[in-house]
Amino acid sequence: MRGGFFGEYLRVDLGTGKASRVAIDPAIARRFIGGVGLGAWLLHHETPRGFDPLGAEAAVIFAFGPLLGTPLTTSAKYALVAKSPLTGRIGDALSSSRFAVMAKRMGVDAIVITGCASRPSILLLDEDGASLEDASDLWGHGLPVSEAAGALASRFPRYAFAVIGPAGEHLVRYAGVANEGRHAGRGGLGAVFGAKRLKAIGVRGDRRVPLADAAKTIALSKALAKRSLGPATEKYRELGTVGNLAAFNRLAALPTRNFQDSTFEGAADVSGEVLHATRRKGRGSCINCTIGCEHFFEVAPGEAPVKAEYENVFALGPLCGIRDPEVVLRASRHCDELGLDTISAGGTIAFAMECAERGLFDGTVFEADARGLGFGDGARLLTLLDDIAFRRGALADLLAEGSRSAAARLGPPAPDFAPHVKGLEIPGYEPRALQSMALGFSVGSRGADHNRSGAYEADFSGKVDRFQVSAESARSAIGTEDRAAMLDSLILCKFLRGTLVDFFGESAEMLAAVTGFDCDADELRRAAQRIVLLKRLFNEREGWTVAEDTLPERFFTQSLTKGSADGAVISRAGLARSIAAYYEARGLRPDGTVPAETLSANQLEPL
Amino acid sequence: MITIELYGVPRMRAGRDAIAVEAGCLGDALAALGRECPVLAPSVVDGQRLQPCYVVAINGIQFTADANHPLRDGDAIVLLSADAGG
Repeated sequence: MRGGFFGEYLRVDLGTGKASRVAIDPAIARRFIGGVGLGAWLLHHETPRGFDPLGAEAAVIFAFGPLLGTPLTTSAKYALVAKSPLTGRIGDALSSSRFAVMAKRMGVDAIVITGCASRPSILLLDEDGASLEDASDLWGHGLPVSEAAGALASRFPRYAFAVIGPAGEHLVRYAGVANEGRHAGRGGLGAVFGAKRLKAIGVRGDRRVPLADAAKTIALSKALAKRSLGPATEKYRELGTVGNLAAFNRLAALPTRNFQDSTFEGAADVSGEVLHATRRKGRGSCINCTIGCEHFFEVAPGEAPVKAEYENVFALGPLCGIRDPEVVLRASRHCDELGLDTISAGGTIAFAMECAERGLFDGTVFEADARGLGFGDGARLLTLLDDIAFRRGALADLLAEGSRSAAARLGPPAPDFAPHVKGLEIPGYEPRALQSMALGFSVGSRGADHNRSGAYEADFSGKVDRFQVSAESARSAIGTEDRAAMLDSLILCKFLRGTLVDFFGESAEMLAAVTGFDCDADELRRAAQRIVLLKRLFNEREGWTVAEDTLPERFFTQSLTKGSADGAVISRAGLARSIAAYYEARGLRPDGTVPAETLSANQLEPL
Repeated sequence: MITIELYGVPRMRAGRDAIAVEAGCLGDALAALGRECPVLAPSVVDGQRLQPCYVVAINGIQFTADANHPLRDGDAIVLLSADAGG
């Protein structure tokens, strides 16, 4: 490998505090690229079958892409990979900025952390090795994430940190990991940190990432940066993802009151357009990003502004029946400071609100805590977020486990409307109104996921009837999964996708310039398929069955009733046909497992 | 009369939520939008054509890019970003 990789990963055992460098076979780097692909491969090889995601055997892996450390725009990202304590399946989450750059500049392509510290600790890593520092002043005191990060920056000013909040310390199964105001949010990987008594990891390095063809890399970087300022990204630059909300509401695709409705009467109040007109305070970006999709909004006069995205506004607003923008923005900040994934927090609380309105807590140990809980109650939303992060009270302790687990504890009919796939709460795309996305959610290895499947692209294209699953749905699910797998492995931001006309060809050109690989579009297309299969294979090893590739019962039995989605419901048989088409096109058996010939055809080893 | 509903960046640029036009097909409606709101031409509409980063859904249901798509009196054209990533 002439560039892009250092050819080693760092293995750290928190039990002993020792770190060692392990060589990466160049063939593995080329086959799995980096980021999520390399992280998934390492997870396979560094963990035993059936391990407890919160046990000492669990590994949590920071994996870097070959483009990280180059001038290519949006490449300053890392992938965090582990077995999700929320789903029991593969969990991978991305974040960005200085932490990613500093970590790779230690001269490693990944960091694998195993074992469990004997006391709350800070792991410091640099080119000389590892050390564990006492974190007792930061752990157990309820410090907001920003305060903990500030204290770490003062104490160790030369390091960049990733840190957990109170939710991670209390093993909330949808706790995230934060760095520089950004979050590797989904799947509860912050709880894996918490179980290891790992409050934070600090990294410091100054090795330059080698480039096989520096002149070509710089030329490609300039061209990509120029395109990133074009019309394909103007939505993100000028309005941000929160611009989805009003449009989705008009299309009756905005999940509302725990997916009971798909239009929200208060949508205008929390829409991106109104937030911009009334509360916009500024814009930001990750380092080495020319898009700048981050938009900050005023919560209340005199308070620091909050970064708002479509997903946190949808989950903490319409999904919970809340239309007050101050409450929604405040709840978003609560999640960030407590270290909670906003989508799972909003989804789980919305589920609890419906349970309470249906009387499902009556006569249970949760009754007192749930009394009066219902949609639209902003004060209870804010209180519950705090209580969940600290597991205060029976109801909050239940909800800290996620909606799937809470529903199982409550019993029928709660599992029918718990808003998850494989345990991961569903993001803001109503499956009955976007039925190609319904397929994407069903088959996703991470669970219900809008960042690993972009099957909604078919729904918004006019190529399909968005109120039906079809053969085109399977093609879109596969095509967008493959693109996402490649972007998450290289790693580049998904908001660039519209700027790449020949996605795999242009990706191959960038990878070749950085690494010196003699690669082409076809090789990268096959690598993307391999990475998707590898993630399925990990799930299979950890007990996945075909019964998990589905949606909650609600979506098959309760029609939407308003707007353009009036009458929309998912055909169980139609989705099954679409899943079968997906399996066949992926080379899977009818039961969704990976046969030997598909392993062999994709250069994958049996596990 | 046809209503063109604007969402996201087009709404912010035009400074209005919607515009009413007379048109018999989608292309004519888009051309009318460009005339009525010059700030949207050519970044959003270029004559009868929609720029690739935008899509329309007729009455919020049927997505189409066909300029010849016939319109009926009372139809609503929902104009939004083609990229629904969040």
